[in-house]
Amino acid sequence: MLYVKNLYKSYSQKGQESWKCQALNGIDFHVAQGEFVAVMGPSGSGKTTLLNCISCYIPFDKGSILLDGASLTDLKEDALAQIRNIKIGFVFQDFMLLDGLTIRENILVPRIVQGKALEEAGQLANQLAEMFGIGHIMDKYPAQISGGEKQRAAVARSMINRPLIILADEPTGNLDSKSGCKVIGAFVKAREQMGETIFMVTHDSFAASFCDRVILLKDGSIYRQMEKKASRSQFQNELLAAIKQMSI
Amino acid sequence: MTQVYHMRQLEKKLRQADRKHSRLYLFCNFIALMIISAYSALMFSAPVQTVFPIGGDSRKQMYAIFVMTLLGCVVFTIYAANLFFRRKSKQLGILMALGASKNRLLPGLFCEIFLLSSLSAASGILAGFPFVRGIWSLFRLTLIDSRETDLVFDFRCLSVSLSFFLFTVGFACLSSWRYLRRTNMMETIYEEHINEPVKELGKRCGPIGFFIILASAVTGYFSPRVWEALFQSYAPSWLGLLYLPIFAGLYMTMLHAVTHGWKNCRKNPYKNMIFRGIMKFQAKQTVNSLIIIALLIAGAAFAIFYPAAGIPAYLEYTKYPYDYFYQYRADQKGPEEKTVRELAGQYGISLKDWEECEYISLGIGQYTSILEDNNHYRTEYVPVQGEAKILSEESYLALTGEAVDVTPGTYMFITNEEETNFYANESAKDLTNMITRKQIATRFAGYLHYDLLSDSIGYYVIDSADYQTMEDGLTSQWKGNIVRFNVEENDSYEFANALYRLFVSSFDSSCEHVSFYNRVNKIMLNEAGETYWMDTEMGEEFKISYDNPDSLSFRQLWAYSPSFRILLTNDYLRTMGVLYLMFLFIFMVCLMAALVISHTRCQTIALNNQYLFDSLKKLGAPPSFLSQEVQKQCSHIFKTPAVTGMAGMYSLFLLILYANDGRITSYETIVLLICFAILIIIGLIDYAVYRMTMNTVKKLLHI
Repeated sequence: MLYVKNLYKSYSQKGQESWKCQALNGIDFHVAQGEFVAVMGPSGSGKTTLLNCISCYIPFDKGSILLDGASLTDLKEDALAQIRNIKIGFVFQDFMLLDGLTIRENILVPRIVQGKALEEAGQLANQLAEMFGIGHIMDKYPAQISGGEKQRAAVARSMINRPLIILADEPTGNLDSKSGCKVIGAFVKAREQMGETIFMVTHDSFAASFCDRVILLKDGSIYRQMEKKASRSQFQNELLAAIKQMSI
Repeated sequence: MTQVYHMRQLEKKLRQADRKHSRLYLFCNFIALMIISAYSALMFSAPVQTVFPIGGDSRKQMYAIFVMTLLGCVVFTIYAANLFFRRKSKQLGILMALGASKNRLLPGLFCEIFLLSSLSAASGILAGFPFVRGIWSLFRLTLIDSRETDLVFDFRCLSVSLSFFLFTVGFACLSSWRYLRRTNMMETIYEEHINEPVKELGKRCGPIGFFIILASAVTGYFSPRVWEALFQSYAPSWLGLLYLPIFAGLYMTMLHAVTHGWKNCRKNPYKNMIFRGIMKFQAKQTVNSLIIIALLIAGAAFAIFYPAAGIPAYLEYTKYPYDYFYQYRADQKGPEEKTVRELAGQYGISLKDWEECEYISLGIGQYTSILEDNNHYRTEYVPVQGEAKILSEESYLALTGEAVDVTPGTYMFITNEEETNFYANESAKDLTNMITRKQIATRFAGYLHYDLLSDSIGYYVIDSADYQTMEDGLTSQWKGNIVRFNVEENDSYEFANALYRLFVSSFDSSCEHVSFYNRVNKIMLNEAGETYWMDTEMGEEFKISYDNPDSLSFRQLWAYSPSFRILLTNDYLRTMGVLYLMFLFIFMVCLMAALVISHTRCQTIALNNQYLFDSLKKLGAPPSFLSQEVQKQCSHIFKTPAVTGMAGMYSLFLLILYANDGRITSYETIVLLICFAILIIIGLIDYAVYRMTMNTVKKLLHI
C-alpha cells in the first residue's frame, strides 16, 4: 500500500543556507492495506515531517514514496492535489475545521472539492457521523462543539472520499484523555468496520497501543519497529520500555 | 440553513464567514484611497493651483507632504492586503490539504480579492471628493470665506487616484497568486503563527542610529555651504542625498526602541519580557509601521506649523506706527492728499498726521555671483548692480520723527526692528544716477530701524548734500513719493478698501511688476546686449496683474503694495486663506492617516497574538496583567512615532527659523511657543485615540 524508501529531508533558514537541520535521515518502511500503524519518538525526531512528506504537504530532498504502486515524487500540482483529495485523508492535531461551515459541510468539503454529486456523500457523512457519535452536532459550527467532537468530525472528513490511507498527526495531542479515547475509538472503528488503513503520528503510548505496529523514530532515523503480539496493555508496557531505552 | 453542495457555494459561505476580516481590509483600502483622492483633488483644484506660487516653497512643501502621504498609504494598503491574506491563508491551506488544487482555488480567490480591492478602492476615490468638499466647506464656514477659497475641482487629479487604484488592485491580485504559489502547504496553513526570524540585535543599534541621524542632518545641512566655499560653484542637487541616511538611522533607533527599549530596568529585568518578546518577533513589520506613522505625524506637524509661522506677520501689521503708508513713482498719478481726504469724508473719517516726502531711486554697487561654465561662479563687486530707494535726512525725519546725521560719502540702510531684512546691503561702494550716470563713492555707515521702510529693494538714507547731488538730472521715473497718515478715532475697512482700489488704479503698466524687479540690472544688461532674467521665460512665473489686486501674490509681491493696517489685518486670513486651508487640510489628512494606521496596527498585534494572550490566561495571568501588557504594546505604537515625528519636525522647524538669519527673533519665539502648544494638542488627540484603541483591543482579546 504505502512504501517509503530512503527518505531524506532537511530544513534550512532563509539567509542562512549553509546551516541545515537533517529532519529525516534515510527512512525506509511500508504500511500494508488495512494496517493501523503509529509513529512515535521524542520531539524533533522527524515524526511530523515524515507525515507531511507522505501527504505531499512539504517537498522532500531525496528518496521515494509509493502509494498504491504510484510514486509521489515529481508529480505535478494538479496530480498531487488529486492524490490528497482521493487517495489520502488527513487528520490534523488542531482539527483544522473551517469555522464558517457546519460540521456536515466540513465533513463534505473533500467531496465538494472533488466536484462530484453529493447525494451519496451526504448519506456517507451521516453514516460516519453516527459511527463516531457526532450525528447530533451535524448542523452546528465548530465554535459550538468540544475538541473531541471536532476531532471526530475531522476523522469523518478524512474518510468521506474513502481514501486509501488516513494520515493522522497527533490526533489526540490537543484533547483530554476522555476525548482522546473517543477519537482513537473512531480510528479503531474506521479500521474495523470500513477497512481503512491508518498511519498515525503520536506521542501518546496509550493511543499507540491500539495500533498493530509502532515505528520508533530517533534523530530522523528508524530506531525500532514493534508489532503488537499480545494484549493492548501489554503492548503499551512494551512501548514504554522501548521508549525509555531509546531515551538513555 | 442553505446546504453547501458546490465549490462556489462553499467559497461564498466562507466569504460570508470572513466578513469581519474583509471589513478591515475594505476599511483600510477605503481610507487610503479616500485620503489620496481627497488630497490630490485639493492639490489640483483651481484655488490651490492659482494661489500657490509656481516653484514656490509652499507648493514644494505641499508636494513633498503628498509624496510622504502617498508612501504612507501605499505601505498601509500593502499591510492591509498582507493582513487579509494572513487570515485567508489558513482557509486556503486547509482546502489545499483536502485536495483542492491551486488552479481550482485561483478563480474564486481572484474574484474575491478583485471585488474587495476594487470596490473598496473605487468607493474610496468617490468618497474623497465629498470628503474634501465637506471639510473645505466647514473651513469656509468657520474660518475663511472668500472668492479665492471657492473650490473648483480639476479632474486631472483622477490620474493620481486611478494609478493608486490600479496599484491597490494589482498588489492584491499579485498577493493572492503569491500565497497560492507556495510549495510548503504547512506554511500556508500556519501562516498566522509564523513570525519573523529573530536576529540578535546589538545594544548599540539605537545609539548608532541616533548618531547617524545627527551626522546626516548636520552633513546634509552644511555640505552645500562647504561645497560652495571649496569649489566656488553652486552645490549640486545630489548633495541632498546626504540626508538619506537619516532614514536608516531612524530605522535603527526605532528597531532599538522596539526590541530593547531605551530604559534599562535593572531592578526587574523580566518586567517587559512578554512585551519585548511579542515586539521582537514582529520587529520589522512594527518598525516599518512606526516609521510611516512618524513621517505622517511629522508631515501633520509641519503642515500645521505653516499657518502658525504666519502669525508674526499678522502681529507685525498691528504694530505699524501709522495706519496708512504707501509709496509710488513720481511719474504715476498716486492719490493726492485732497483726493484721499475727500474719499475719507465719504466714509465719515477724518485724517491726521499726513506727511508726504520724496525719495530717489539710484543704482547701487553690490557683490554679486557671476555664473561661469559648469555651475561655477565667481563673486565680484559690480558698481552698478541693484536699485536703491534713497531718502534724505530730512525726509527720514519727516516720516519717522527720528533725526539722523549721516556722514557725507556714506549711507545707512533701513531695516526692521529685528534686523532680519534679507536684502541688507553693507558692501556698496558706489551710487549711480541712472540718467546722467553720475557716480559718487559711498560706504556703509550702519543701520536705521523702521519696519514700514523695510522691503525687498531696500531704503537707504544719505547725507542731504549727497542727496541733492545725485537727484540732479533724474527723471520722474527715478523719483517717488512716500505718504503716511493716521485716522481720527475708528478706522473704516470700507475706506481702506476703496483707497486701495483707487491706489492700484492710479498706476500704469510700467509699474505692473514684483518688488524684486531690478530696473538697474535690466538697463545694465540690456546695454551689454544681454537679457534680464525677468524678461525671459523664467520671469513668467513672477508675473502679477492689476486684474487680480486681491490675490495673495499681488498683495505680497507687487512693488508698490501699500500698508493699510486695517486692510492687512482684516484681509490677512482671506488673502492667505487657500494656503492656510490647504495646510490645515494636509494636517488633518496626515494626522488621520497616522491615527488610522496606529489603530489598525494595534488591532493586528492583538489578532496576531491572540493565542499568546489565551496561553497567558491559561497560565493564570489576571486581567490586570494582561491589560498592562496590551497597554505596553499599544502605547508603544502610539507614543514612539508621535514623539519621534513631533520632536523631529520641531527641531527641523527650529533649524529653519534659525537658518533664516542666524538667530531666533522675538516673533519667532512666539511662533515656536505656539507650535509647541499645537504639538501638545496633537499629543492629546493621539492619546484620545490610543485610549479608544486600547478599549477595542481589550474587547478583541476578551480582557
